Amino acid sequence: MSAQPARDNIVIRSLSQIGDCALFLLQILAAVPRSLKHVRETVRQLWFVGAMSLIIIMVCGLFVGMVLGLQLYDVLSIFGGTSATGTVVAIAIYRELGPVVTALLFAGRAGTSVTAEIGLMRATDQIAAMEMMAVDPMAYVVAPRFLAGVIAMPLLCCVFCALGIFGGHLVGVSWLGIDNGTFWSNMTATVDLVKDVINGVLWKSVAFGVVVSLIAVFQGYTTPPTSEGVAYATTRTVVASSIAILALDFVLTAFLM
Amino acid sequence: MSQRQSYAVGTGLFIVLGFAALGYLATQTTSVANTSRGPSYTVEAHFANIGQLKERAPVKVAGVRIGQVQSIVLDPGKETADVKLAIDKRYDKIPDDSVATIFTSGLLGDQYVGIQYGSSAKTMADGGTLALTRPAQQLEEMLGKFFGAGGAADNLSGSYTVKARFTNVGALSIGAPVKMAGVAIGSVQSVKADPVKLDAEVMLAIDKKYSQIPDDSAAAVFTSGLIGTQYVAIQPGGSPDMLKNGDELVLTQSALQLEDLIGKFLVNGSPSDKKPADNSGSTTPPAGKH
Repeated sequence: MSAQPARDNIVIRSLSQIGDCALFLLQILAAVPRSLKHVRETVRQLWFVGAMSLIIIMVCGLFVGMVLGLQLYDVLSIFGGTSATGTVVAIAIYRELGPVVTALLFAGRAGTSVTAEIGLMRATDQIAAMEMMAVDPMAYVVAPRFLAGVIAMPLLCCVFCALGIFGGHLVGVSWLGIDNGTFWSNMTATVDLVKDVINGVLWKSVAFGVVVSLIAVFQGYTTPPTSEGVAYATTRTVVASSIAILALDFVLTAFLM
Repeated sequence: MSQRQSYAVGTGLFIVLGFAALGYLATQTTSVANTSRGPSYTVEAHFANIGQLKERAPVKVAGVRIGQVQSIVLDPGKETADVKLAIDKRYDKIPDDSVATIFTSGLLGDQYVGIQYGSSAKTMADGGTLALTRPAQQLEEMLGKFFGAGGAADNLSGSYTVKARFTNVGALSIGAPVKMAGVAIGSVQSVKADPVKLDAEVMLAIDKKYSQIPDDSAAAVFTSGLIGTQYVAIQPGGSPDMLKNGDELVLTQSALQLEDLIGKFLVNGSPSDKKPADNSGSTTPPAGKH
């Protein structure tokens, strides 16, 4: 986890980062039982990364659903299939947009602040101080933030999806005049509980929650203890999370289909 | 302590909201919403062909959902499908000579089982069998009777031109294939409106290879597939004289309005409703009627 010699080439550096990250995940998992005595800290983090992210998630979900409703109505009207708008909005949101957009927003809203917070703790020697006082920083700082992220992601994703459906309904039914009954009955006839909601919304968002939280705490914990290092680590959290989310989304889709 | 409690309450609300959203998604927007929860009884029906019918598809009477398809298995030793229908206990007054039919909702929609009441005084009991069934109507077969197969025009080496007049060419465009028996034999050279006769004058370039077309053949504007492009189909006649360059095809059939056509089949899908469709009679050439 120490800073790599600058002469390593980029492949070696990337590989060692991934390796460090995986080892860090094992350390976090090992620290999870110890962090249970700090359950209050986990709840506080859940409030911070989850409940505080609700507004942005809800607003974005609403707009994503609304724009989907508009676009799909426009295209489907070519084929006279506007009654399928509800179905396509629901499937698009459940399978892809819900988990992916929520994870991207989550990385930007919560991941960065976790990285910056842990990075500043590192830079101001608070982590070293904890170790001196025999407080395990893995159990007290890292594991609660990681757990909170993993728990918050699927919940946020569900809220996002529900608001997205509401947004699609608002545009499709209230504004563009699709029949309310058709909208819902087509949706319920096609959307599948296991394939769309469990595989799409739940598993994907849990996986994204693990990845985003891991990257956030890892970048914060291993940041160079300077103000520049913290800024750099925060940026890298967003970049690495976004790439990881989109790449993992493809892999998960291929497996869960 | 009060600070702690406020975030604890907020976190709790967040978790409750998240699970409420999940519950809403799972139960209200998926097929789970369609599973009937009330007590139901089972009725069997045997179909020669179930088409795309799936388990949990709705069972409807007069368009109202009264139950769902419970299971679909192939009858052992027979070439029929055994479909078990779970029907809500509230609807227990179904005459035992009712007819079960597999319908399609809309043009491209899912299939469902429709039950049309018979006139018997006896009602269906649990485990009973609906003896009268009508299989799924294969849209492809129906449409195949009207439309030829798709395909691109041959590379035209040398061609001769014939004229055809249509009262309506639909969306026929220049370059559209001309087909005989489903095989492309040429292409549409030009589509012009005739300012005097007020109809469409279509010039067809037909490959020289196909010079044995009787001059009383008919030309019709057809559509390939459901939402495909339109083409001109030549239906050979019986005349001993062949078409020559510059001839005109006198017998033509204009583009069918797909909406009218399909509307007649899907809305009046059952034989009992056939009469009004026959009376309006535009699916068959009027020459056959008069």
